[in-house]
Amino acid sequence: MRLPALRRGRRFWWDTVEAYVYLLPTLAVLGLFTFYPFVNAFIYSVYDIRTRTVPGPVLHVAADSTAWVTDLARGRIPEGLSDALRVRGVDPHELWVRLRQADRWVVKDEASGQEYIIVREGEELRVHQATTGWAMESVGWANFTRAFQDPDFRKALVNTSVYVGVSVPTTLVLALLLATLLHRGVRGKAFFRLTSFLPYITPVVAITMVWAWIYDRNFGLLNYFLRSVGSLFGVEVSLINWLNDPRYVMPALIVMNVWRFVGYQALILLAGMQGIDREYYEAARVDGAGAFGVWRKITVPLLTPQMFFLLIISLIGSFKIFEEVLILLQGPGPQKSGLTVVYYVFTKAFDSGHYGLASAASVILFAIIFALSLFQLTVTQRRVHYER
Amino acid sequence: MSGHRVRADAYLLRRGMGLVAVYGLLLLTVVVMAMPLFWMITTSLKDIYQALRIPPQWIPNPPQWGNYPAAWNAAPFGIYFWNSFFLAITTTVGDVITSIPAAYVLAKMTFLGRGLLLSLLLGTLMIPGQMLLVPSFILINRLGWYNTYWALIIPWTAGVFGIFLLRQFFKTIPDELWDSARIDGCSRLRYMFQIAVPLVRPGIATVALFKFVGSWNAFLWVIIMTDKVGLRTVPVGLRFFMMDIGTDYPRLMAAATMAIVPVLILFAFAQRQFIQGIARTGIK
Repeated sequence: MRLPALRRGRRFWWDTVEAYVYLLPTLAVLGLFTFYPFVNAFIYSVYDIRTRTVPGPVLHVAADSTAWVTDLARGRIPEGLSDALRVRGVDPHELWVRLRQADRWVVKDEASGQEYIIVREGEELRVHQATTGWAMESVGWANFTRAFQDPDFRKALVNTSVYVGVSVPTTLVLALLLATLLHRGVRGKAFFRLTSFLPYITPVVAITMVWAWIYDRNFGLLNYFLRSVGSLFGVEVSLINWLNDPRYVMPALIVMNVWRFVGYQALILLAGMQGIDREYYEAARVDGAGAFGVWRKITVPLLTPQMFFLLIISLIGSFKIFEEVLILLQGPGPQKSGLTVVYYVFTKAFDSGHYGLASAASVILFAIIFALSLFQLTVTQRRVHYER
Repeated sequence: MSGHRVRADAYLLRRGMGLVAVYGLLLLTVVVMAMPLFWMITTSLKDIYQALRIPPQWIPNPPQWGNYPAAWNAAPFGIYFWNSFFLAITTTVGDVITSIPAAYVLAKMTFLGRGLLLSLLLGTLMIPGQMLLVPSFILINRLGWYNTYWALIIPWTAGVFGIFLLRQFFKTIPDELWDSARIDGCSRLRYMFQIAVPLVRPGIATVALFKFVGSWNAFLWVIIMTDKVGLRTVPVGLRFFMMDIGTDYPRLMAAATMAIVPVLILFAFAQRQFIQGIARTGIK
């Protein structure tokens, strides 16, 4: 594939130029919105970041402020100003007084909530749309120590680990069993595909709303079902307050997400099973292996590439759990039993404005995911069987 | 001879029992898998008294079709649906347009830095998107894109998933095709879009489908990058709807059902592309 350096002729260099031209749109978007933020996530984690209102894009320039003076003296809002600001209820007199006293004035349009900044530079008046500016101050490792000292963050780490530790293996094992059942040449695969695939592609918000209803203490389907099964065996099952009892919040999240992903994973494993060469099975059968023996000695080992892929994907995916918490619990849950790392990042950044702390927390999250993936890559790789 | 028969019968019996067990388990699975969605749709057609009945009323009688217009009119769902469609279509088109040349180049051309680029792109799959929330938020604000469609479209017009999937498809095209096209004086760009692209149409359909569904479901990015009602997507709108009306489950479920209908329709028409996409992501 790779040509030795000496044989790289003019063609090669032309191809290089051409290739990068074609790659440019992709690289531009990914560079700006993936790689650049990725690097910044690390940088921001050692900064204290606060927001302030700063002048943004210029909406209007009055080169000659005397025209404004005349207008204002007549009790009118100057033309360009009113267009640019769309401000209702601004007292022209007050506006003029304020502009004389200060070089800049912040006006807020009550209707839209948009802020505008009027800046005076000599005779020139500029109307800016206000935007958010960022004040950054280097604080070293302070964000990291703060995160680790925050009981909420530690709780989030524990909760997320429990969630990942239980739901990832459970989903994979169930998916493997399901795929095995389906692989036995049963009819109605198409229907099964439909039902197992839908949870995966439907909007998680809609799905989670349904589960909130299923988990309802008094009228939910799950408690009804548990009670019915219990009464079959003569056991009185008390109503479980799934979403308001700290003991049951994690199980509720886990059950919902196992349900969401088990069908998808089963389909991937099924595709893998169908790709296994029949010769292996025949050889095993000739050697007198039973159905279970074939499954354990042939099917499962040859599925390790798919299982490895699913393990990494679901590991990364599970650590990111957030929307489910927000919708299902409408908050971090009772006694913060549903507080996850991404939930912590989200509230620290976008509710309390601790952007640096939030960045540090997400860097820690990345470090965990990265270390686990690397661990899997090195340890599991030796056990992965690739055909041929 | 008869010993043979007995063994054969025992085998058939065991096989029969096995099949019954397999079908039984599968049936149970299907019921469990389908139940939440079934429950969502039936609840959406009940009145509140039917919804809260214990034991549950499985089939709404009479069906309350009025829940749908009631839900639709209780929040600006027209805006939400328009936004979701608009964003899903623009990001899908953008993603396909950027992915085709990138995938082609990475599949078929030898150039400086190809290996490095491939591992760099593969590496992005390891980055949890949630890690980028804060820096992306700051970036979007610095660009002046907060509360604009730009913030919701441009960052999603390129994607590694599409590139790697299409790359696999492009790899299956024999090189001789390009050689003969070049001899006939065909430019690379023209070859790419007029000859290669039609050959990988199933791949493009799969990429487009996944991208469309992904954009349709966009939630977290939207609530961070915007706070205007006019920019809400369907999932974001659903969340606010839920916060507004609380536990009026029939109307909530009607809204949730409306939100998944476009995905259901898409899936009904393009099941094969979805399944192929899934199968390919696993096999790699």
